[in-house]
Amino acid sequence: MRADGLLARLDRIGRLALPGTVLLFFVLLTLAPLRVPYLSDTLPLLPALVVFQFSLATPERLPGPLLLVVGVLLDLLLGGPGAPIGVSALGFVLIRAAVVANRRYLVGVPFLFQWIGFCILGWLFMVLVWGFTALWTWTAIDPVPAMMQYAVVIVIYPLLAPLIARVRPRDPLNVPELSRGTAQPGETAI
Amino acid sequence: MAIRDDFEVATQQLRTGLQRFALVLLVLAAFIAMLIGKADSVLVEKARVLALDLASPALEAIARPVAAANRAIADLKEFTSLREENARLREENSRLLAWQTAARRLENENERLRELARFREGPEASYITARVVGDSVSAYVRGALLNVGRKAGVTPGQAVLTGEGLAGRVAEVGDNSARVLFVTDVNSRLPVQVERTRERAILAGNNSALMRLTLLQGMAGVQPGDRIVTSGSGGSFPVGIPVGEVVRGGNEGSIRVRPFADFSRLEFVRVVDYGITGLVNTGPATSDGQRTH
Repeated sequence: MRADGLLARLDRIGRLALPGTVLLFFVLLTLAPLRVPYLSDTLPLLPALVVFQFSLATPERLPGPLLLVVGVLLDLLLGGPGAPIGVSALGFVLIRAAVVANRRYLVGVPFLFQWIGFCILGWLFMVLVWGFTALWTWTAIDPVPAMMQYAVVIVIYPLLAPLIARVRPRDPLNVPELSRGTAQPGETAI
Repeated sequence: MAIRDDFEVATQQLRTGLQRFALVLLVLAAFIAMLIGKADSVLVEKARVLALDLASPALEAIARPVAAANRAIADLKEFTSLREENARLREENSRLLAWQTAARRLENENERLRELARFREGPEASYITARVVGDSVSAYVRGALLNVGRKAGVTPGQAVLTGEGLAGRVAEVGDNSARVLFVTDVNSRLPVQVERTRERAILAGNNSALMRLTLLQGMAGVQPGDRIVTSGSGGSFPVGIPVGEVVRGGNEGSIRVRPFADFSRLEFVRVVDYGITGLVNTGPATSDGQRTH
């Protein structure tokens, strides 16, 4: 292996650490006392958006165990008495798995389809968290605030997602990740 | 070439198998975390406090610029209505001055009557001022994080006040952080009384802007506009802290109370150290509480 310069190494470490750092930042931002109407209510769903976007762009830099840890942290920081610890972790892991499984259909399609994908997964995430919280605290929780959160985060997605990570159609498309880096022109063009 | 392809296919299958297995493991781990959280509330409490203490410095760093931005936005908004605001304040000031005279007279009278009756006043409260460094407001919880903790003398159950009235109570305490549960949270149950009629009641939050009042002794004549204050039942709260105002009367169960505290602009709050730990820690703690005064 070629000896890298300091800058190149820093660059590589930075790229590796970026998704985790951004996710952690949004987890902390969930608790920030932002007083912007609508926006502050939607903060708890933003980590899910970050997980979705990075799973789409660079899933290898956002491994499942990290999601588990950050999800538990989010639940510990945010949760009220009796709320389930780990439900966000479960949601994050499932979002990542769903995105990774369908990545070849989501990468390289118009942005609208990625948005629709987020709408579906975001909805499932919200239902999951709402359901488990209601079950764990055994109270009928008013679903309207959760739906409001969901509605706002969906509107925010096209504004925020391109800033977080750009999803590039990597050519050639639909090539297994292992051989992607070494593929020669013509080798996989069938 | 064919051998290489076979090898690649095999490794690919192995990888997908491993990935599926990893997913199952992760999902299992999340479920186990949830079950542990349900079974062992003491452990969860400790973990929460630890997480709070760890996140508190970072939150404080975020909170200051956020507070500055919030203030700037509020200033801009107020700038447009400066004239009306001024007129309103002048009117309110003249009204309050009249009240001040009345209050002075009553205070004097009260003092003299107390002297006559040899009335022993309850323990005096001391205050701990705290900055709100985080909101824990979501669809499921209404609360806030403070930058003071056990080291400053905060203990669970203490009342948290804003300038306008009661905001909530301290739920969890770390070394340098604390979590407040607002009165509007779905888990909040507060012993209160109607200031005008002295009727005792329980004020319950439901995660919305209005709280529900459940009367204990019937519902004779609670009207919109009645002030609700803490009753001090249970002992952990001082008596007579304003909590809210009845906005809708009616039958039991349909009475709604609007809190005085404005949760959308909390920046600093006061934690009341009343010296009584109340029913939460009875036993040796009560004598301890009296010793401090």
